[in-house]
Amino acid sequence: MRFIMLMAANPISDATQPRIAKGVRLQLDPATGKTVLLFPEGIVELNETAQEILSRCDGRTLSEIVRDLAEEYDADVAALAADVRETLADLNERKLIELT
Amino acid sequence: MTAPRPYALLAEVTYRCPLHCPYCSNPVALPVAALLGEAPRRPQGGGYSNGELTTDEWKRVIREAAALGVLQIGFSGGEPLARRDLTELVHAAREANLYTNLITSGIGLDDDRVRDLRDAGLDSVQLSFQSDQPDLSDEIAGAHAHRRKLDVASKIRAAEISLSLNFVIHRRNIDRLPQMIELAESLGAERVELANVQFYGWAFLNRAALLPTREQVTRARAIAIAAKARPPRSMEIFYVLPDYYESRPKPCLNGWGQRYLTVNPIGDVLPCPTASSAIPDLHFENVRARNLDWIWRESESFTRFRGTDWMPEPCRSCPQREIDFGGCRCQAALLTGNATNTDPVCEFSPNRAIVDAILRDINSNDAARDWTYRVNPKELAVSS
Repeated sequence: MRFIMLMAANPISDATQPRIAKGVRLQLDPATGKTVLLFPEGIVELNETAQEILSRCDGRTLSEIVRDLAEEYDADVAALAADVRETLADLNERKLIELT
Repeated sequence: MTAPRPYALLAEVTYRCPLHCPYCSNPVALPVAALLGEAPRRPQGGGYSNGELTTDEWKRVIREAAALGVLQIGFSGGEPLARRDLTELVHAAREANLYTNLITSGIGLDDDRVRDLRDAGLDSVQLSFQSDQPDLSDEIAGAHAHRRKLDVASKIRAAEISLSLNFVIHRRNIDRLPQMIELAESLGAERVELANVQFYGWAFLNRAALLPTREQVTRARAIAIAAKARPPRSMEIFYVLPDYYESRPKPCLNGWGQRYLTVNPIGDVLPCPTASSAIPDLHFENVRARNLDWIWRESESFTRFRGTDWMPEPCRSCPQREIDFGGCRCQAALLTGNATNTDPVCEFSPNRAIVDAILRDINSNDAARDWTYRVNPKELAVSS
C-alpha cells in the first residue's frame, strides 16, 4: 500500500511571486495550438486556466494575478483565488514553478 | 495505423567518448563508418571523414524534426562535446523552438564552452556521474573523470543552467544510493536520476558483472522511496527500476514509433537508440537518403511494431497491451532471439524462465565478476 501525504504547510500568500522554475519553458505547441511546459525529459500540456495563470507568472504577486484574471473574465475574486492557489500548489509540487 | 506526432528527438551526434563505462548503451559493434576515422575533419563530399553527419546535415535533421512536431531534443552520444560544432547545433535547435538538453560526461566543458552553450540557449544539462566516490567512479568510467565532473557541475551552476545528475545504477554502486543523492544535493542539482542499468549494448555484454542481487535491489528501492518522500523536497528524484526483477515489463518508449526517435552519428534513424544492435534484421533508413517525415510515418522500421496489430499472444488479448505495449522489442530480441515476442520480463511470457535463470545465476553466486570496458571508436581505429 502507498500513502501519499498532502502537506497543507506554507499556504501560498497573497504577496507570493510565482515564477516559472529554472530549466522549465512555457511555449506554444504548434502541432496543437495549445500551450505546454517543457522541462528535462518532460512535457505538460496546460489547460486554459493553467495557461492563463502561468502567462502571468512574470513577477506579479498572487493577488495581482487574481485581480488581473478577475478583471479579464469578470469572475468572482474569492473563487478565482482558490483556483489559482490550487493550480500553483500543484505546479509547485511538480517543481515547475518557484514561489518567491 | 496512422502515425502519431513525435515529441522528442535523441541526437546521438557522435560515438566518440573519453570514458569507457562498461554499461554504455552504444552498440558493441559500431557501424563501420564510425570506426574509420579520428575526430571529424573537413567534410568530404557527403560527410565527415569518419562518417558522422555534418553540421548542415544535423541542422536539416533538426528542422525536419521540428516540422514533424518534435518539441524536445537531447544531444547525446558518445560524448556530444566531442563535436566542436555542438554550440551551433544547440543554437539551431533553439531557433527551431526546441527544448534543448545536453546529456554529457562533462569532459571537455570549460568556462568558455559553458558560456557559449548558455548563450546559444541551452535549457538543461544532464551530467553523468558513476558514483559519489572518486576512486570507484574512475574505476567504473575507466578514466580519471570524477574530479573534473565536480568542477563542471559548479560551472553549470554558475552559468545558471538547469542541472540534472544522472547515475547508472549497478551491482558495484547500488549500495551507495544515499551518498549519490547527497552528492546531487550538495552540487545544487534540480534533479537526480538514479537509473538501474538496462541491458543493451555494452551492458548486455557485461550483465553478469553489473546485475545487482535481489537483496541489493530490495534495499535500494526502500531508500529511493524514502528519499522521494522526504520533505522538504529541494530536488526531484527519479528512480528507474531494474526491470529483470519486475514481473511486468516497462512500457518501453511509450510504444514503438509513438513519441520518440533517435538519429545516430551516421544518420540512421532509429525508433530506439539500442534497436540497431539488438534487432539486426530491421532495416534502418538514413537521413542522407530520406526525409525524416517519411521515415517516421512510412518506413518499415518505424511501422513494424507500431500499435498493437503486430502482437502475438499473450500480448494480443492482454488488458495491459495499451499500457506496457508488450514491453521492450530490443529486450525480446536480445533474450529470445525474436523481437516480436512478449518481453520475457513479463510474468505471462512463455520465456520468463530465461530471465529467472539469469537471476538465479547472479543470486546463487554474488562474487564480483570482471567486466569489459567500452572501447571507443578512435582507439579501435588506431589498433586495427
